[in-house]
Amino acid sequence: MLNSSAAPPSLRVTDTHRHQTLNRTRVGSMALVYELVWRLLHVLLHVHRTLVASLRVLLGNRNGRTWRRAAAALLTPASVAGFPGGDDDEKKRKKRLVLEIDGRARYGGGGSRPGGVKLEKMPAHVGLLIVEEPPSYTDIANLVVWCMAVGISYVSVYDHHGVFRKNNTLLLEKIVKQQERLGLDDSKYSVEFISNGNAVHQDQIVSCKPVVQILSPEDGKHSIVQAARQVCRAVEQKEKTSKDINVSMFDALLRESKNIPDPELVVKFGPVDSTLGFLPWHIRLTEFISLPSHINISREDLLGALQRYGTCEQRQGK
Amino acid sequence: MSWIREGELNLIERLSANVLKAGPVPKHVAFIMDGNRRFARKKHVDRQEGHSQGFNKLAETLRWCLQLDIPEVTVYAFSIENFNRSREEVDGLMELAKLKFLRLLDEQEKLERHGVCIRVLGDLTLLPLDLQQLIAKAVVATREHKRCFLNVCFAYTSRHEMANAVREMAWGVEQGLIKASDVSEALLSECLYSSNSPNPDLLIRTSGEVRLSDFLLWQTSHSCLVFQSVLWPEYSFWNLCDAVIQYQCNHASITKARELHQDEQCQQQLEADHACVAELLHHHGNGKPADAPRKQEAVTEYGVRRAARVKDFLDALRSKRDTFLTELASQATVA
Repeated sequence: MLNSSAAPPSLRVTDTHRHQTLNRTRVGSMALVYELVWRLLHVLLHVHRTLVASLRVLLGNRNGRTWRRAAAALLTPASVAGFPGGDDDEKKRKKRLVLEIDGRARYGGGGSRPGGVKLEKMPAHVGLLIVEEPPSYTDIANLVVWCMAVGISYVSVYDHHGVFRKNNTLLLEKIVKQQERLGLDDSKYSVEFISNGNAVHQDQIVSCKPVVQILSPEDGKHSIVQAARQVCRAVEQKEKTSKDINVSMFDALLRESKNIPDPELVVKFGPVDSTLGFLPWHIRLTEFISLPSHINISREDLLGALQRYGTCEQRQGK
Repeated sequence: MSWIREGELNLIERLSANVLKAGPVPKHVAFIMDGNRRFARKKHVDRQEGHSQGFNKLAETLRWCLQLDIPEVTVYAFSIENFNRSREEVDGLMELAKLKFLRLLDEQEKLERHGVCIRVLGDLTLLPLDLQQLIAKAVVATREHKRCFLNVCFAYTSRHEMANAVREMAWGVEQGLIKASDVSEALLSECLYSSNSPNPDLLIRTSGEVRLSDFLLWQTSHSCLVFQSVLWPEYSFWNLCDAVIQYQCNHASITKARELHQDEQCQQQLEADHACVAELLHHHGNGKPADAPRKQEAVTEYGVRRAARVKDFLDALRSKRDTFLTELASQATVA
């Protein structure tokens, strides 16, 4: 039987060779086109992001919050919001506004929560995760004070460079100052502190019952490693065996050196969609809510995030 | 339904995939496949049907991942917390898992052709013995495959995994393979169930939940997290593309943060070595402070010895784990 491809082998080789080169150039030029399109896509995304950010700043400064929200809603397609945004959910936003009005009315009528917020679920520990540079200490101090004002008893602040940890005192001073300023400027807040019964003097709030914790990557994996080393040392000295180690035992050990409660909510500020090393052991059931920036952040934005947390349902594996 | 879905993308999908591949593509993607039950409720079908459809979606998603040049996928199939669900549902899920792993063993040839390596991460001992054996068999059968990797987290929680890693290190100390001072971040990572994989670059959770639910907490500390509102059985190629685009937007800043973290880790290791050497000199030395170059030399030497200890320990750990699986798998053949 004669094979159909009976052409001289040399010819066949050059033919395939030519074919391959042709293919290769075609593939090469296509790759270039793909790359161009990819670059274009990302340039567009970048422009979109910058536009939204600058509009936010522009309109935010003019006190046009409603306009700002409308603009943000127009500009942010739901699909490009990686972390759930605080700003892109129309339904929740409406609800939030209603609640705020509701709260204010209560306050006027001598209600129990003069802060003007009614939260369905109050997180005990809120982590503020700043993944944005440069940090604005005044805004962060404001955020901390607002959190404490609604009754959150444990507020932590984290950045992955450990800058806040290094400037611990600076930040704490700022917080006390903002607390005084907000307390003096706005009678609503001072009422709040007193009615909460947490503090008699405002400057005691930082050191007194509500806790402000400045966290850095050291409190994350590093502290887990420290605890692991401690257990292994105990095993080395025959005080413990490897069989003794389990989740609850290790959890207790971790909290021995620095007792940080699990945060129920982390509000992330900035353009990076990652926790960047924030307390890996503790964030098992933490809800993550993302806001685009902490610069010039308003109290309403933060309360919106808290409100959003209130609507989340925890199923714990069920 | 099969583990491997063969099929091609349509023209538009293929073009989009090629455009995405012009940028950085994640090497490892982790999924929390949430929303099967809500999907079942929405479609008024049986809960079990929701879980089945969820599995089919997994096969489809794996194909998309391969077409996007993503070689490794990790999925959260069953959490230790899920044992708290109703007896009926847990039994149903175990039954589904048994079926799927049996199916997997039937499809070995196909898996070999595609070079798919399947790993199961979790505490197998919490599962019924027959399922344990099936899983072990599937893992042993595919462990030489090198082209793409599917890690199924089963009877898994991240805290359990971390505590287990600590237990393994303690075992190493008991066996005299390592010292307590050898414990480091890198070593702990190597003792996790996921020690054979790089950390995920991208974690996707569907159905609008914004939690990690005790999944890969350690490994995703520098990953891009994407929460999508779509229910898992309705996940589409475009949802995956959307997530990859977000990863690409985050790529530069996350890479920078990772490098920073890597540097810190090296620094910490160096400090630990210094501390150990200082202690050794204190104990064995004649009390005189050693001069700087001698000390430096001692630290380097100590580092080499530590690395050798750690390597021996990790080899022992690996062979312990391998033996466990091989024994389970051979029991299955006998049974």
